[in-house]
Amino acid sequence: MGTINFGIDLGTTNSGIAKFTNGKVTIYKNPVGFSDTLPSIVAYKKGRIFIGDKARELLKATHLDVFSSFKRKMGTEHLYHIADTQEQKSPGELSAMILKELQSFVQDEKPQAIVITIPASFDTVQSNATKKAGLLAGFQQVVLLQEPIAACLAYANSQEQDQTQEKNWLVYDFGGGTFDVALVKINERELKITDHEGNNFLGGVDLDHLVIEQLFVPKIEEVLQEQNLFKKLITKENNFYAKLYYELLYKAEEIKKELSVKEVIHTELELNDGDHYIDFEISRTQFNKVISPKVDETIVLIQKLLEDNQKTSNDIERIILVGGTTYIPYIREYLRQVFGIMVDHSIDPTTAVMVGAAYFAGTKEIHADLIEINSDIQNSENQSKNSIDLKLIYEVNTQDNEELLVGNVLGDFDGFYRIIRKDGGFDTGLMSFKDKFSEFVKILPKQKNQFTVSVFNQNQQLVFEDNNVAINHGIYNISGQPLPNDICLEIDDNFGGTFLERIFKKNDILPLTKTIYKTTSKNFNVDVNDKLIINILEGKNGTFPASNMSIGYIEINSKDFPMNLLKGMDIELKFSMSESRDLSVAVYINSIDFEKKEVFNPHTKNINRKKFDEDIDTVIDAIENELSYVNTIDEADPEDISVLVQFKKIKDELFNIKFDLIEVDEDDQSERIFQLDERKRRALQTYDQIVRFRDVIYEIELYKNTKAEAESSLEEATARQKEQFQKIIKSEKVFLESNEKALIKRKTKELEQLCSDIFYQKEESYGSLYYYYKYRDLDEYNNPKKASKLIASGDKAMENNNFKEVKFIIHELYDLLKVKPKDPYEDTNGNLGLK
Amino acid sequence: MLQIINQIFEIEKKSSDQSISIFERNFERIHHELQEMGYTVSNPLGKSYDARDTSVEANIVGNSSNPIITKVLKPAIFQNDGTGMILLQKGIVIAE
Repeated sequence: MGTINFGIDLGTTNSGIAKFTNGKVTIYKNPVGFSDTLPSIVAYKKGRIFIGDKARELLKATHLDVFSSFKRKMGTEHLYHIADTQEQKSPGELSAMILKELQSFVQDEKPQAIVITIPASFDTVQSNATKKAGLLAGFQQVVLLQEPIAACLAYANSQEQDQTQEKNWLVYDFGGGTFDVALVKINERELKITDHEGNNFLGGVDLDHLVIEQLFVPKIEEVLQEQNLFKKLITKENNFYAKLYYELLYKAEEIKKELSVKEVIHTELELNDGDHYIDFEISRTQFNKVISPKVDETIVLIQKLLEDNQKTSNDIERIILVGGTTYIPYIREYLRQVFGIMVDHSIDPTTAVMVGAAYFAGTKEIHADLIEINSDIQNSENQSKNSIDLKLIYEVNTQDNEELLVGNVLGDFDGFYRIIRKDGGFDTGLMSFKDKFSEFVKILPKQKNQFTVSVFNQNQQLVFEDNNVAINHGIYNISGQPLPNDICLEIDDNFGGTFLERIFKKNDILPLTKTIYKTTSKNFNVDVNDKLIINILEGKNGTFPASNMSIGYIEINSKDFPMNLLKGMDIELKFSMSESRDLSVAVYINSIDFEKKEVFNPHTKNINRKKFDEDIDTVIDAIENELSYVNTIDEADPEDISVLVQFKKIKDELFNIKFDLIEVDEDDQSERIFQLDERKRRALQTYDQIVRFRDVIYEIELYKNTKAEAESSLEEATARQKEQFQKIIKSEKVFLESNEKALIKRKTKELEQLCSDIFYQKEESYGSLYYYYKYRDLDEYNNPKKASKLIASGDKAMENNNFKEVKFIIHELYDLLKVKPKDPYEDTNGNLGLK
Repeated sequence: MLQIINQIFEIEKKSSDQSISIFERNFERIHHELQEMGYTVSNPLGKSYDARDTSVEANIVGNSSNPIITKVLKPAIFQNDGTGMILLQKGIVIAE
């Protein structure tokens, strides 16, 4: 036999849904905005139905067709007239809409049976009306549960309780707009409400008004030289006061939250677009004093309840708290002070009722026939949710902020559609339509926007759903020019070489703009000709920089700087590429307030001969280094011969280019130099193709070994070092697949340094390091005599395994060294000057 | 993090109210870094109020048929968690 499992708190101001599974309760979040609760408000506006947060917005705007607090009218003959549709709705029908909306929070199944909570004050008629609302919402089985009982269940199930003894609990429910208190009897067999009291017009919002009136208004009146400001705010005398009222209400809510955790808070109010800034310092004591009259009102109601039932606080085991207002520490403390009994606030008071309802639902059996219906529904849902033939038409790619989505139903149809963006920032609400609908959906820029389109029949039952509607923004556009190649910036690696970092990606649509931030990789002295080189190339990210075509080249001489520029300073680089592919580069160095801008035209190429030469020399050196491992090609491993032959050919070609370059005049920017550039690039591309794969594989191998070594030493690492390890390997997939050896090498180096740090945490590790200093030539020390003495003490310490002493001696010897050993983890100075 | 973004937003707002432009680059940099961390901060000031836009909670003042957002008390904040965008904080605005 199955159980109901789903529980709903159908509140006057807020509602929510939770589910019991395997002894635990899960609260479902609203897929729009992700909050735990849904305001119990329904609004109609121009054929659209809003339920929840957006309806609440319209309520504040005193819109005509907004309905709230309809729970208070449950079971009455009252009918709400909707001007927009000329319909009439009963409180039960509006409640059914809330219940249906809550159902939509549950994405993976469709609950058939439900437990719905009702106030302790509800009579039979009101209870029946709630049950009817549940059935109207499409639930096949509805079980009612009183709110205070639900709250008790939530508290009782969250802790170990001795159930053998009969006891009384007080359920103190202070919500946003209402206050209720119930006396509940608990024994082995049952939970029963003995009696209850309440005030339908006392809630958290009254406390906010007191804060506005007594803590904010006096100071504002002083600044604005006004009188009767509170009255003007409450009556929203004109737009200025209405605006100020909402701002103060928001601030009052914020300070209420903040004062729950802090003793004193500061808040600031800006008036008339910055004409005045008013500072408020509010202490918890001030706040408590201000709200105390309203809290006293709740105390009077509790005392009345106890007296009416011939009870004293000695008869009450604990007070349990429900409703968001009970977060206020003063309420908790004051209750404890007045009644001298335990005040239990161990669970979230805003969701206690729905959690309790779910616990109850977990024990309540579901009707046997519903189990069958349920499995039928699930089977049919697995096959297809859609019982109408609807065709959706929309552009998959857009550059606009809104995109038209059209739905066409084959055949006659009358119902509602609803479109929700999956990030939670867009919801059309329920919109009525006949046969066809069209809606401009809002698009988030530079994202894949995913939407769910749902269609409901007249009874608001789901007849169609498509949650795979995706609209890409800014990715492709038929009207724009796509980039044929990556556009990259050449930057220094930490090892004396350079690599490419992508600025714009191939197929990105022009025009493009991007700002990137780099740091200086060497010191720049204003008295020396240090150069900062910004080289922008067109070519594939992950290839050898010099094998690509330079499309923008800026060389900044340090003599132009207003002062010395140190290594590690920020460089801001702003790149823009127009539709005609003009590239503009703006360089800004904040620390020396230096700015330079240049625009490069794609039709005029500028080749820097010095850089041209250097690029060639770097590769010639690298090839010579490779060739130096074999004396003659004939001696080489047969597998390597073809590679060595290719190296030789590339080297010869590069030498030829160098010679040809000599013949070109310094200022020649004619075809000849471009031909040479083309030849250079082709030769370097061949070189890159040969070595890149091999080098990257080698670096990956090295990284993996170092990672394994670091992993094995993690047992001895501190928590911070473990965290550092996770940080290094975090984006492992990205850098291992980057095809960029410098990036992988940098990570290997970071791991090596981490291993070393872990190793030298133990003092005995200094034993081996000691010999590095002991066996040095004494002349390498500033004071050989002192060094000799230190070594003698070091030997003794080593004999006695006194590693603490050894460590101290190493430090002393280090200080004496004339030339300090190089830090193996220190970055090499860069050539270009930026990394 | 949300509180930090809210504070940055307020500082930016105050600077702009007081016509202080010297922090412009710093704000640009901060937004760049936030974006690198997956955060997108949306300031809907000056946009038309749209009841379908659930990324903001609006307080509507007056009876305008096409209210405009005239004050932003808190910006809307989205985060890309690697699988897609998620609304982390609703904006709090006044429309009139």
